[in-house]
Amino acid sequence: MALNRRQFLTGGLAVAATSMGLTACGGGSGGGGSSDGSADLQLAWWGNEVRNKNTAAAIDAYMKANPKVKISPQPGEFSSYWDKLATQTAGNKAPDVIQMDMAYIAEYGKRKALLDLEKYGADVSKFVEGSVDSGRIDGKLVGVNAGINTPTILANPKVFEKAGVEVPDDTTWTWDQAREVAAEVTAKAGGGVVGFGQLFVDSMLSAFLRQNGKALFTETGLGFEAPDVQPWFEMIVAFQKAKAIASPSQITEEANKPLDQTALVIGKSAMQMQWSNQIEAVNKSSGGEMLVLRYPSVAGKATDRKAWYKASMLWSASSRTKEPEEVVKLINWWVNSPECANINLAERGVPPNTEILAAIRPKLSPAQEKVAKFIEDIKPELAETPPAPPPGGGKIGDIMNRYQSDVLFGRSSPADAAKKFVDEAKSNLK
Amino acid sequence: MSVISELSHIKTDHPRSAEERRARRKAAGRDNKAGYLFLLPWLIGLFVITIGPLIASLYLSFTEYSLIEAPVWNGLDNYIRMLDDARLHNSLKVTFIYVVVSVPLQLGLALAIAILLDRGMRGLAFYRSVFYLPSMLGASVAIALLWRQIFGTDGLVNQILRVFGLDATTGWISDPRYALSTIILLHVWTFGSPMVIFLAGLRQIPSMYHEAASMDGAGRWHRFRHITLPLLSPIIFFNLVLQMINAFQSFTQAFVVSNGTGGPSDSTMFYSLYLYQRGFGEFEMGYAAAMAWLLVVIVGALTAINFYASKYWVFYDD
Amino acid sequence: MTDLTARTELAPATAVAGPARAPRPRQGRGLGRSLIKHLLLIIASLVMIYPVIWMLVSSFRPTDVIFRSPGLWVNDLVIENYTEGWNALGTPFTSYLVNSAIIVIGAIAGNLFSCSLAAYAFARLQFRLKTLWFSIMLVTIMLPIHVVLVPQYILFNQLGWVNTFIPLILPKFLATDAFFVFLMVQFIRGIPRELDEAARIDGCGHWQIFWKMMIPLMVPALATTAIFTFIWTWSEFFTSLIYLTDPEKYTVPLALRSFLDSTSGSNWGAMFAMSIVSLIPIFLAFLFGQRYLVKGIATTGGK
Repeated sequence: MALNRRQFLTGGLAVAATSMGLTACGGGSGGGGSSDGSADLQLAWWGNEVRNKNTAAAIDAYMKANPKVKISPQPGEFSSYWDKLATQTAGNKAPDVIQMDMAYIAEYGKRKALLDLEKYGADVSKFVEGSVDSGRIDGKLVGVNAGINTPTILANPKVFEKAGVEVPDDTTWTWDQAREVAAEVTAKAGGGVVGFGQLFVDSMLSAFLRQNGKALFTETGLGFEAPDVQPWFEMIVAFQKAKAIASPSQITEEANKPLDQTALVIGKSAMQMQWSNQIEAVNKSSGGEMLVLRYPSVAGKATDRKAWYKASMLWSASSRTKEPEEVVKLINWWVNSPECANINLAERGVPPNTEILAAIRPKLSPAQEKVAKFIEDIKPELAETPPAPPPGGGKIGDIMNRYQSDVLFGRSSPADAAKKFVDEAKSNLK
Repeated sequence: MSVISELSHIKTDHPRSAEERRARRKAAGRDNKAGYLFLLPWLIGLFVITIGPLIASLYLSFTEYSLIEAPVWNGLDNYIRMLDDARLHNSLKVTFIYVVVSVPLQLGLALAIAILLDRGMRGLAFYRSVFYLPSMLGASVAIALLWRQIFGTDGLVNQILRVFGLDATTGWISDPRYALSTIILLHVWTFGSPMVIFLAGLRQIPSMYHEAASMDGAGRWHRFRHITLPLLSPIIFFNLVLQMINAFQSFTQAFVVSNGTGGPSDSTMFYSLYLYQRGFGEFEMGYAAAMAWLLVVIVGALTAINFYASKYWVFYDD
Repeated sequence: MTDLTARTELAPATAVAGPARAPRPRQGRGLGRSLIKHLLLIIASLVMIYPVIWMLVSSFRPTDVIFRSPGLWVNDLVIENYTEGWNALGTPFTSYLVNSAIIVIGAIAGNLFSCSLAAYAFARLQFRLKTLWFSIMLVTIMLPIHVVLVPQYILFNQLGWVNTFIPLILPKFLATDAFFVFLMVQFIRGIPRELDEAARIDGCGHWQIFWKMMIPLMVPALATTAIFTFIWTWSEFFTSLIYLTDPEKYTVPLALRSFLDSTSGSNWGAMFAMSIVSLIPIFLAFLFGQRYLVKGIATTGGK
């Protein structure tokens, strides 16, 4: 039938168009920009209201200083940000400047979706040591550190006081001692308060493994085996038995709670693992003033705890951007200019550029100042920067939670869980 | 003969003579021009918007596709991998349980309330709106929050149970044994959608049938069984087929309540949720596409059974 | 065609209040039963609306208090969530409401138009390959959207329609919501064919039968389609997420999500407040639309 033939032709065209789009996602090296310096850039980030306001202000400032450049903002929210970015990348429409996270940088970087920033003049010369390499994938700098943070244990002095327990000395405490202190708080505090809120998260596993001579990841694969992680599962059972942490169902629920509903913030725990740049939000939501503690070590010495500077987020660029020079110019301005630093302060984390940090130091809020000082203080405790999780490794925290849940509910022994965890983590790696 | 009757009669036709077949073909095409004209918008949509991506997704199921790089052909690898994927099998199990339990529950409740709220009492508009309200909220983040609050370890439900002296220490939402039930409950709570469809369907039953029957002395229950149910059966059939298809693809409720993780120990890892995780979370869109087509086969088979069985209980007035 | 419409008068719901019965049974018993029925319904209603009331009450509490109190008591009413929340996202919330409204109205018009046409074809017309097309239509419902999303995005990108409302509205004019096609098919099949034949005897062609007879009789199905389209499109998140990149074009669900940030504090108060605000149109749509939902049919002498 004539009608059908026509329909098939249209259908064929549609399929062709779609498949053309799919195969157009080859690697690209970024085209040349326009010669008159004008540019149209898309800048994507995730954040909250404060960050959105700051970023909008920074964008305005840059556009004023560079009238030929137009920046279109694409604000977003963390969990949906990655679905959107993946879809845009698949459609060859990724934003020019991308706020990037360590969990995803290898996924995009190793698949050649991110621009080699040094090639186009990225300037990280003034960055503090230990803060640059996390943005390197396969030797190329594909992400510039947008803010330093580090894992901490936040402690609520009021809870300790009320329970009549001394705040532990964070330069000497071991995991076992942490368990004892927490159990003591639970016993003495009453009212459903426990020693630790969330503690057994992937960053702490990383610390634990590093302290035992292993690592969460190597550049190419998993950095540990089942016997290395079995003590970790055994530890969580020990903590649970001693009531240093909450019940299995409460722990499972904690993992899904947004920050402002977690135990420490609502006053139901004395301590909790948080990233250093979250202290301001914690203080604000809880109405209190938290202490910043180092996490425990196996050896009982802070200098052996193998700390590290994490890039809380990074600035990356799409490898298919049409304006690579303009993009790198923008990123350079963002991390190296006092003007931008004055707008954003330490909202994304402590600025890695030491001069910039010194310049904005007087303007930091008390909580941010505390964090900046902490980050300086732990310099002697740093060990090598952990590599970015290789492709397929970004979700290891979720996998770990699942096996921890199994162990806590008694559905699996620590040895079994350790073995299955390693198997699954390995099978996910590409 | 309508399309649905045709579908349900597909296997039961007797062999015909050549002349009969020719006559049937002629009759089958008697409204060709009008039919295709009315169908034109849908056909355009099918060929321009739907079919391309549909076929593309089938193609993708034979590839390795990270979204970030171009797809790479890998033959049947995805399908073979599905055979060994224990988490996939678990997700099928979770989804099946969900479908088998929640669909009848939700539809039964929807039908019962629809009949209750059909006519003849005060405050109908108010009650209908109230019972439809949960569906309006759907599976928003706010509702998920509330659900977690109510069914959490120290949530409302446990607090009430403790008042009665029961040892309620485990969270409904965080205990792998019960988490799925909370999602089933959430689905049943939103029975407003099928209820509205039933209401509309009930309205189409001319009341004179009821009048005539009750004048003949038929009681409420008798009228329900012999007038309401048969005349409503096309709508019941519709709700059954579509709620079943929807339930197999259920995603949003499990996603928001479990925060995207599939619940404690994969106990709420619905098939679509696992598909989404593999596709977008693990950058394995090719595998996700294979999973999608497996689902089409499963749901297609069950829907076909539904259609075939419909001729035994669905009554069409035409 | 006046006698056609006269034959199938639409009677408002109240006229068919119930079958004529023998005189009411003992007054007391009827009243008691009706009272119990209302009581049960009210209790059920409370269970149904509890979450909404909680959201409503929470929207009047300061953010840090919201999750500390699960009850429904309000001690200190604050309205900052509404006044600040309205402007908290850069552009005033009105623009998000307007964006959503544009898309929703377009979607409703599209669905009503295209799905009714397709449904009439499937339900009443005989044409070749009908079963095939119907089966394909069912298959399109069965395919999980997450795998067609990306190819569709690529397709719309090739057409240059990303960052516009077009991908969110145009498909509706092409009956891509097969759910409603199937729904209307079932409804049409409940309408006796004798009416069609009577109209044909009067000399009506297919278009006239469709437009003058079928559409008025299908009002409950059309109302259902309109209401469901409204509610589903109003709360549609993922497609808006990937197709709208300009924040000014954001729809209500996207805007609501912007209040949340799982990595730091979220503005729950504002989110609940704006959620309530965005619920009002849906609620009104349903309240208004349900009249049409329950327009009954009184066929007098049609059979």
